Amino acid sequence: MATLRDVKCGETVKVLKIHGQGAIKRRIMDMGITKGTEVLVRKVAPLGDPIEVNVRGYELSLRKADAEMIEVQ
Amino acid sequence: MSLTIALAGNPNCGKTTLFNALTGSNQFVGNWPGVTVEKKEGRLKGHKDIIITDLPGIYSLSPYTLEEVVARNYLLNANPDAILNIVDGTNLERNLYLSTQLMELGIPVVMAVNMMDIVEKKGDQVHIQELEKNLGCPVLEISALKGTNVMKAAEKAIQVAHAKRSVPIHKFDAEVEETLEQIEEQLTGVAKEQRRFFAIKLFERDDKIGEQLSFSVDVENLITKLEDKMDDDSESIITNERYTYISSIIEKCCTRNSKGKLTVSDKIDQIVTNRFLALPIFAVIMGFVYYISISTVGTMATDWTNDVLFGEIVPNAVDNFLNAINCADWLASLIQDGIIAGVGAVLGFVPQMLVLFFFLAILESCGYMARIAFIMDRIFRKFGLSGKSFIPMLIGTGCGVPGVMASRTIENDRDRKMTIMTTTFIPCSAKLPIIALIAGALFQGAWWVAPSAYFVGVAAIIISGIILKKTQMFSGDPAPFVMELPAYHMPTVSNVLRSMWERGWSFIKKAGTIILLSSILVWFTSNVGIVDGHIGMVSDLSDGFLAKIGSGIAWIFAPLGWGDWKAAVAALTGLVAKENVVQTFGVLFGFLEVAEDGQDYWGTLASSYTPLAAYSFLVFNLLCAPCFAAIGAIRREMNNGKWTWFAIGYQCVFAYAVSLCIYQIGTLMTGGGFGVFTAVAFAVLAFIIYMLVRPYKQAHTLRVNIKSVKS
Amino acid sequence: MIAWFIGNSGTIFVSIVLLLLVFFIIRHMIKERKSGKGGCGSGCSGCANSGMCHGHNHS
Repeated sequence: MATLRDVKCGETVKVLKIHGQGAIKRRIMDMGITKGTEVLVRKVAPLGDPIEVNVRGYELSLRKADAEMIEVQ
Repeated sequence: MSLTIALAGNPNCGKTTLFNALTGSNQFVGNWPGVTVEKKEGRLKGHKDIIITDLPGIYSLSPYTLEEVVARNYLLNANPDAILNIVDGTNLERNLYLSTQLMELGIPVVMAVNMMDIVEKKGDQVHIQELEKNLGCPVLEISALKGTNVMKAAEKAIQVAHAKRSVPIHKFDAEVEETLEQIEEQLTGVAKEQRRFFAIKLFERDDKIGEQLSFSVDVENLITKLEDKMDDDSESIITNERYTYISSIIEKCCTRNSKGKLTVSDKIDQIVTNRFLALPIFAVIMGFVYYISISTVGTMATDWTNDVLFGEIVPNAVDNFLNAINCADWLASLIQDGIIAGVGAVLGFVPQMLVLFFFLAILESCGYMARIAFIMDRIFRKFGLSGKSFIPMLIGTGCGVPGVMASRTIENDRDRKMTIMTTTFIPCSAKLPIIALIAGALFQGAWWVAPSAYFVGVAAIIISGIILKKTQMFSGDPAPFVMELPAYHMPTVSNVLRSMWERGWSFIKKAGTIILLSSILVWFTSNVGIVDGHIGMVSDLSDGFLAKIGSGIAWIFAPLGWGDWKAAVAALTGLVAKENVVQTFGVLFGFLEVAEDGQDYWGTLASSYTPLAAYSFLVFNLLCAPCFAAIGAIRREMNNGKWTWFAIGYQCVFAYAVSLCIYQIGTLMTGGGFGVFTAVAFAVLAFIIYMLVRPYKQAHTLRVNIKSVKS
Repeated sequence: MIAWFIGNSGTIFVSIVLLLLVFFIIRHMIKERKSGKGGCGSGCSGCANSGMCHGHNHS
């Protein structure tokens, strides 16, 4: 299973499924990462974590640990 | 007829700017019932009977955050007549997500699309008519910044409020709609226009919605049936459906030509969050802000207020007046040496504060804060805080109280407790006069003193974080971190000035209230003592009651280099408000008197302490227990007496240990002798280093507690 | 008695003004406390970016 965590900078991927549950899952989905959304991984923070992604035309930052919950194509 | 219009929108969409543009200075600030989330209301300019309520900036109406619960309870229970939904045109998709939820509430909605100038500059287009047709509510283009169309949007909202027409509602997938309809059928006790909202919330198994309903419904069967069919949980089904709906209309409403192009914001980000430059840039910016406000621009104005305004003009005028009406000497002394000296010593620093507030307002409103959280997250997480902990700390540079309160944005209980404990290490604006006083009087305004005080605060947070993280009570995993990085934008002059003025004014107000009272108290307790067996005025302050109390505790601070009663008393009065440290020095060292050898107040102070002792005093006052107001805030946020005491106790012990090391080891290095306390200082230092480097095992499982929000 | 009052009228006047001032300050502070505001003023109202910190999750 490929997750958003493994995606390299500059690559665009499509979201397949979001794992996990409750507040974090809702939060990630509220921010626009839903099934079928295209996500561009823009950069990694200076110290290696978190990552910055472009989703639905804006910039979102999330930790690698949270990115692991997002299954991508 | 009076009307209420609720202003709703995402964070960073220009909501505050719009609110200010609509209401001008007609604002009143309060709290939302039962919680300490700030509630702003105001009267619409030119319409006395229209009240605008500014809702907290939210992304969704989920039950998981305090702000979201506050906003939805308000919308459901207070029944505003209309919602003015402000939407960021540059970020339409995510902003519409909240809009779809607002429209389900059965309250007429007017949508105001903001930041259209930026959309056009990027070469994109938003088709307002299409948007209006697809959403079924009036849509307007506005610019909150320039004030274009702002009043028109408000008038439109009044118009729909009068018309009372309920909004046509978007449809989801047929299967979902079917289930929702079945739920709606059971909701006969709910007003017709709110049924859809309740049906969706019940479908999502929203645990906050039961409180709003007077009867219970059992829809569990319906939900599980659809969940099995769609292979997802009900909450995610709805979220997916919303975004699917938005994607289906966005094609028609929005033309994007800029895809893939780098915006100005991206270009700034390439430098500011650059792998190598990010941290140095951050250090330079903060150092620069402190250096400018304390040591350069601010000082010139401060010198004038200290030496001329509160040194000559005010005292002379008051002196003449008191002489003219033949006022008793003791009362004249109370006013001159007590009140004017005390309050004047604090007010003298107003210009420096204003400069600092100005810079902080710019940093806050331009979007750099979110980047700091992004850059710092890794470091902070290393010792168990999240990058979000940085936001409370930056707010803490203004005042510890909202700083501590801002810690509630941190999801994880452990992270939050640790942030609360460490936030007040950052020098707040009330500690700034102490920094400015020490820098000016003892170090002749050396450039490094003020920035160093700031970095001592940051270092204290990092060291405390590492030490505490390794103790049993704080071990565990960090909280999740999902945050928007808003595009950079130029802060508006009016917003920055408004922010600067509001903070500056509250600083002045504080000097006029609590500092003034403290000045009177300090004057009385220091000037009254036991004279010839009965209570009376003393001729020498060191015979007064305050001196006796101070001497009683001064020995505690002797190892830190400032074991005289005046400094001890100053540190003690600092608990009431940190400005009191400066106020107390002002009263006790005779702010207004020029001593016989020609030295003024700063000179007297300089001859009483060595620079090293003064720096140790500064560090102690920066790190020790905050003022009572902040302690109260810690108590509220911890919601637990034991934790509050632990936090305060830890801060004091930590402050003492650091000051001890600075003074004792500093003395040794500058050629002082090796004493008992030098040995103690080395022992303390060794202990701190041990606590920092000792190995510990971190748990690897991700556990996140989701507790319900108190509302 | 009256002579004493006249002789000290300045002191009495200033004392009364001062006592009134203290009274109003204390009343003001109690009012602020009751309305839920802390002793410190630099609240979120002064923050141009308050939307930022109020928009995030709370456990």
